[in-house]
Amino acid sequence: MNEEKKYQKDFFEDRIENIKAEDIRKALYVFHRKLSNQSAAYLNSCLHCGLCADSCHYYLSTGEIPSIPAYKLSLIEKIFKKHFTLLGKRAPGWVKAKDLTKDLLPEWIDSLFGRCTLCGRCSLNCSVGLNIAYLIRAARGALASVGLVPPGLQSTINTAILKGNSMALPREDWIETVEWLAEELRAEVNDPQAEIPLDRKGARLLYTVNPREPMFFPLSIVAVAKIFYAAGESWTLSSEDYDVTNYGFHSGDDNVAALISGRLVRSMEKLGTQDLVLAECGHGFNSNRWEAPEWLAKKYGFDVKSIIQIVADYIQKGRLKLDPSRNPEPVTLQDPCHLVRLGGIVEEQRYILKRAVARFIEMNPNREKNFCCGGGGGQLAMPRFAKRRLEAGKIKADQIKETEAKVVASPCHNCIDQLLELNKHFDLRVKIKTVAEIVADALVI
Amino acid sequence: MPFIEGKGKKLEVNEEGFLINPEEWNTEAAELLAREEEGIQKLTEDHWKVIHYIRGYYQEKKLAPMVRKVCKNTEFQLKYIYELFPSGPAKGACKVAGLPKPDGCV
Repeated sequence: MNEEKKYQKDFFEDRIENIKAEDIRKALYVFHRKLSNQSAAYLNSCLHCGLCADSCHYYLSTGEIPSIPAYKLSLIEKIFKKHFTLLGKRAPGWVKAKDLTKDLLPEWIDSLFGRCTLCGRCSLNCSVGLNIAYLIRAARGALASVGLVPPGLQSTINTAILKGNSMALPREDWIETVEWLAEELRAEVNDPQAEIPLDRKGARLLYTVNPREPMFFPLSIVAVAKIFYAAGESWTLSSEDYDVTNYGFHSGDDNVAALISGRLVRSMEKLGTQDLVLAECGHGFNSNRWEAPEWLAKKYGFDVKSIIQIVADYIQKGRLKLDPSRNPEPVTLQDPCHLVRLGGIVEEQRYILKRAVARFIEMNPNREKNFCCGGGGGQLAMPRFAKRRLEAGKIKADQIKETEAKVVASPCHNCIDQLLELNKHFDLRVKIKTVAEIVADALVI
Repeated sequence: MPFIEGKGKKLEVNEEGFLINPEEWNTEAAELLAREEEGIQKLTEDHWKVIHYIRGYYQEKKLAPMVRKVCKNTEFQLKYIYELFPSGPAKGACKVAGLPKPDGCV
């Protein structure tokens, strides 16, 4: 596969080099189709006031001009003006309009894929409230339509399409892993009857996972199973179509995104479960809770919830008994952008942690104003931007240090992976856990 | 592309420290990757047991094995795998075994 990866990389460079006029036309067509009247208005509205600069972790960590959100937006804006506005067509020099040509592509790719995590924080600072991340995603989608998604991100998408999940887990190995984890659960709760149900038709909840969990970090699944066990929940996993991730979200390719999210709908229908419960995953929540019904042009006949909402509800209803002294170390919380700022799940994780740990410390800023960890928007899947990703993580590393917490809780596996790298790179000496892992540790059974 | 060097060996790695050319992998390469990328100064017999299993699985299937398979075949507890490779099975063990970076959130 290394050869394959090298090939993908060479292929990508060749692809940029050999892009044809008809590809450019196609990219523009796709971009145009993705723009609503509202987003067209956005593209005419940037005042270039520069207030967004201080909102972006890329700009704040390096001070590089191309990382200012307005600069990134301007790359899209010039193309939009040239191709889709009268003034841009007639007097391009006057409105700084530019043709989308081959020589602009490297900067588009570097900027739109390599300097943005689609975290949406810039919109908070924007004096006219532009949804910059939305426009960057639309432009990514144009690049995706002509095969210009950086390798790594594209191969993750290809794996998801071809293998049914983003890490190519074979079905039999997934089933075997679930059986193994069920044994772990039985030992953990000391009950030979405890189970992790698989393909149980008519269960109340269908729980989905990030393939990274069964592949490399399965204890987070045991933690959730322990919580379900303690709450006496009727739930199930599915032997297929269980992947909460959707990398089509990051590439901006709505057709692929629809295909991937559609699988969870298929699982729900097959098993006849009531609510779809998403693992701790930021973009997975935003994709499946908010975007997917649009991508699929389908009204869901079931509720889509984050496991965070479920756990908060259990605590509120007294279905879990927690002993916070079992988590004696100070804990801070990473707010995943797609769950919090863009997803609307803001207070539940705080409600949970305050009841599950001895001392909870907020980062500053927090909630919808929190900074991205630096790993979002598909960054973790694009090694070519890895150095920049770690640099941009400095803002998060400094936030964590300031809290003096010993544990960072994050309801997102993608944040967790970036945090694990920041931990090493910036020598933070913290433990990084999912919220469910922390709750499971506090459970009195 | 960056390089890592030691004991007269020079290896090309990607931006995240994964080996570029799989044919360059051998015992010394593993030791170098462990030291430079993972801060593991000396690979023990237990490290090698994990590395050899992952390497063999990869050569056969062109995939990284799930951690379940690693535990089953080495007869190590999951927690012990994380102790051996603090960066975890992907960025630790798979990297030292010379595998490319797995796709997904890792």
